[in-house]
Amino acid sequence: MITEIRDKVAEQLEKLDGIVALRSTEDGAAPYLFQQGDNLEELVMNPRYPLSKTASKLQKRFKDAKLGVVARGCDVRALVEMAKRNQIDPDRLVVIGVTCTSEEAEFCFCAEPAPNLDQWSGSTLIGEPVPGAPPNPIVAEYAQIPYAERWAFWKAQFTKCHKCFGCRDICPVCFCEACALEDPLWVEPGLLAPDFPMYHLIKAQHMTTRCVGCRQCEMACPADIPLTVLYDLVRQDVAELIGYVPGADINEMPPFTLTLADAAIESDLVY
Amino acid sequence: MTNSIPEFEDADCVLITGSNTSEAHPLISTRIMRAKAKGAKIVVVDPRTTQMSLLANLHLKQQPGSDVAWINGMMNVIINEGLADDVFIEKRTEGFDELKAAVAEFTPEYVEEISGIPAYDLVAAAKMYAEADAASIVYSMGITQHITGVDNVLSCANLAMLTGNMGRPSTGVNPLRGQNNVQGACDMGGLPNVYPGYQKVSDPDIQAKFEKAWGIRTENGGRKTGSGLLSPVTGLSDKVGLTVTEMVELAGSGEVKTLYIMGENPLMADADINHAKKCLKNLDFLVVQDIFLTETAEIADVVLPGASFAEKDGTFTATDRRVQLVNQAIEPVGESKADWEIINMLAKEMGASGFDFSSPEEIMAEIAALTPIYGGYSYERLKNGNVLQWPCPDAEHPGTPYLHKDKFSRGLGKFHGIEYKAPAESADDDYPLTLTTGRIMFHFHTGTMSRRAEKLNKEVPEAYVEIHPEDAIKVGINGHKRVTVSSRRGEIELATRVTDRIKPGVVFIPFHFAEAAANALTNSAFDPVAKIPEYKVCAVKIQTTADPVLEVCNESYKSKN
Amino acid sequence: MDYKNIQTICPYCGCGCALNLEVIDGEIVGVLPANDHPVSQGSLCIKGWNAHAFVGHEDRLKKPLIRKNGQLEEVSWNEALKLVAKNLGSIQKKHGADSIGVLTSAKCTNEENYLLQKFARAVIGTNNVDHCARL
Repeated sequence: MITEIRDKVAEQLEKLDGIVALRSTEDGAAPYLFQQGDNLEELVMNPRYPLSKTASKLQKRFKDAKLGVVARGCDVRALVEMAKRNQIDPDRLVVIGVTCTSEEAEFCFCAEPAPNLDQWSGSTLIGEPVPGAPPNPIVAEYAQIPYAERWAFWKAQFTKCHKCFGCRDICPVCFCEACALEDPLWVEPGLLAPDFPMYHLIKAQHMTTRCVGCRQCEMACPADIPLTVLYDLVRQDVAELIGYVPGADINEMPPFTLTLADAAIESDLVY
Repeated sequence: MTNSIPEFEDADCVLITGSNTSEAHPLISTRIMRAKAKGAKIVVVDPRTTQMSLLANLHLKQQPGSDVAWINGMMNVIINEGLADDVFIEKRTEGFDELKAAVAEFTPEYVEEISGIPAYDLVAAAKMYAEADAASIVYSMGITQHITGVDNVLSCANLAMLTGNMGRPSTGVNPLRGQNNVQGACDMGGLPNVYPGYQKVSDPDIQAKFEKAWGIRTENGGRKTGSGLLSPVTGLSDKVGLTVTEMVELAGSGEVKTLYIMGENPLMADADINHAKKCLKNLDFLVVQDIFLTETAEIADVVLPGASFAEKDGTFTATDRRVQLVNQAIEPVGESKADWEIINMLAKEMGASGFDFSSPEEIMAEIAALTPIYGGYSYERLKNGNVLQWPCPDAEHPGTPYLHKDKFSRGLGKFHGIEYKAPAESADDDYPLTLTTGRIMFHFHTGTMSRRAEKLNKEVPEAYVEIHPEDAIKVGINGHKRVTVSSRRGEIELATRVTDRIKPGVVFIPFHFAEAAANALTNSAFDPVAKIPEYKVCAVKIQTTADPVLEVCNESYKSKN
Repeated sequence: MDYKNIQTICPYCGCGCALNLEVIDGEIVGVLPANDHPVSQGSLCIKGWNAHAFVGHEDRLKKPLIRKNGQLEEVSWNEALKLVAKNLGSIQKKHGADSIGVLTSAKCTNEENYLLQKFARAVIGTNNVDHCARL
């Protein structure tokens, strides 16, 4: 499949100015902007990085560039949420979608391992879509814990937090320049562990209409906090109560005004 | 470190002392917390409550400077409870009788008198450590920065050997080095008594090896190069040089005329910096090579702009002896240059040969050729993602994840009977509080880098002193009032954090803040062997200072009424 | 138009975490963790995530400085190196090599530390070499 991806990238590079994907060299693998003439043998699909953020940074910096991105299902969902918030211009972005394997889907407990490209013009899908994997069993187990004990559970988890902001920094849909987690009004600065529950509940609340289930926050957490259990739960609630599913429909605006305020902060991209 | 960072995960017990691990070495605390999640026991011995101590199974709050006493006390318990590893002691060590005699008087009750650690807690900690299959000791500057720094380190080694926790995975004595390449700076001979790889300057064979390699003595006699600027070196010195603390002192008395300082900031880092500043100002000539105009650079005669880590290639050696490649990301800022290029240029200016390197890779080849523990390193090997921990003597050697596997470097491990000595300065009527200094998560060392990082400085923008509520009441602090903290050497003004995270009678100040430099207060009394100053204990007093805002309010109130 | 990540080692504590410096057209714009590193394993602390922040700070020294009439003034590399060479030489000749001390650096690379101690020992002729390991 990787050959097919590389061939597609080579083909698209004749029409586009550059394509965001992962590049592996002897120093390691990380996001890179492939351009004509680059060695496409170096293009890989692992590990995972927030490519929606890279694409956003590059679109803002190079306002006339026509770019592409090699994206998995969760990457595309993140692109959708970023586009709703004026952080991605979908008209200037071509998506080369890549399906995840069943094993990858199981590892991520991913319900939607194939990218949905219906709303991305000029996009291509590579690979055979596989069915969604069952949800994280810990979420169901957790749901059995009485409310009174849940507080103690999360308090114990968040006491380990190093306040690295890594869960935010690696998040493919966190972009605000003025972040509530850094606002002394909400979270007292300089404390370790950060204020419980403010720091983590603000993050969780912001995830309600954004989390696309990529699980990169949990992998970046140096304190091994099971962040996605919390985010899966809030996403479930939002889906049940409001019927909103992050990343599903580029034309459906996020339900909370909070995110509209965010959009006003950085609205230099118009679509 | 005798062992590797990933090994902590599989320890059965981790004893942490003098290290605020989760703040000063966060990614090491990750591994320790994983060990705990797998069932390991974590013991923290520290006068402060830290994030790590809150997560530990047991936290002992000792009086600063009492480390030899409580470690001797633990060994006393271990021997009396029959928990010592007799086989290891028999096969791998010598001097056990000396140790046994030395720790005999350190009963838990006696240790409680000295250290303030409750006797039952000490017994519990000793059992937790000694009963574990693989127990690891973690320490940092809280153990070394004392006039008994060497004694403290030897005590840790005694404890590990007594229980056979050496030479196996997830055991050992593991000092966490505080700066990204402090291990490498030591490995590379940035020390007065050794060449690279800890080869002694006083050893004639070693001296001859370096004289030959560096072209000081050639086959047919002396050295040929020189610009006439200086007297050519005709043989390497076998005299052990001065440590930084001695250099500063002798600068004050005029024996040292010149210092050449690369990327260090002693006027923030040194103990008793008011004195250090006086000494350095007495120099005839001071050269500082740095990326910012540091407190030290401000008084220099010449300042040379170096390039930052992001602007050069090279290698750093992490605390677990792991040598890793540093890769250049951008061009040096302005006209700044990589430090290796500056030294190359200066040496050439002085007419010296042997400084014609065109890349750090070439320098590493010379290092490998002359340094047995680095013998197997090359950029080629490091580029392939190999994790290579020294000793790595040749190109085929896989590196050494943990030391002392079958024998110690000296053969048998030697127990040292260590007597307890009180700190150089204790709290008294004039200076009733004990000051201890250290780091916080959001800043680094003298603050040169972290205070210029917006997001880090925003977390903690100013210096503060941590004080226990009982002491705060005595001093008359309420809320976040500003105070003056003074010692016999200086005084600083700063904010307060009243918190029961600190032991009553003890106060803590992070040393990252130039405008309220903790080291204006610290005592430069140092360990006789390691010459390390006693940053972790000195006597201070605290007075509340006038609050300018309150004063304005009061004035306006008075004038209106 | 150029975007790449360069993997390097964090400049802060001794853990030796790897991180990626995100570079757009020769300017560092951010940090990403390094997923395949044996110690950091895709995580970083707040210092690591902000490792790039001081690099482009306006306070960075951009030219050599020499103290003239009590003030540090910008000069050329040539002038600065000539002065350092001349003064180190004359002090070594007049007061002996041991009147000179050199501090190597826990922030610089192994290669730089090696080179500076070689300079002290082989060119100046003194073992007065140390760094802030103790401090």
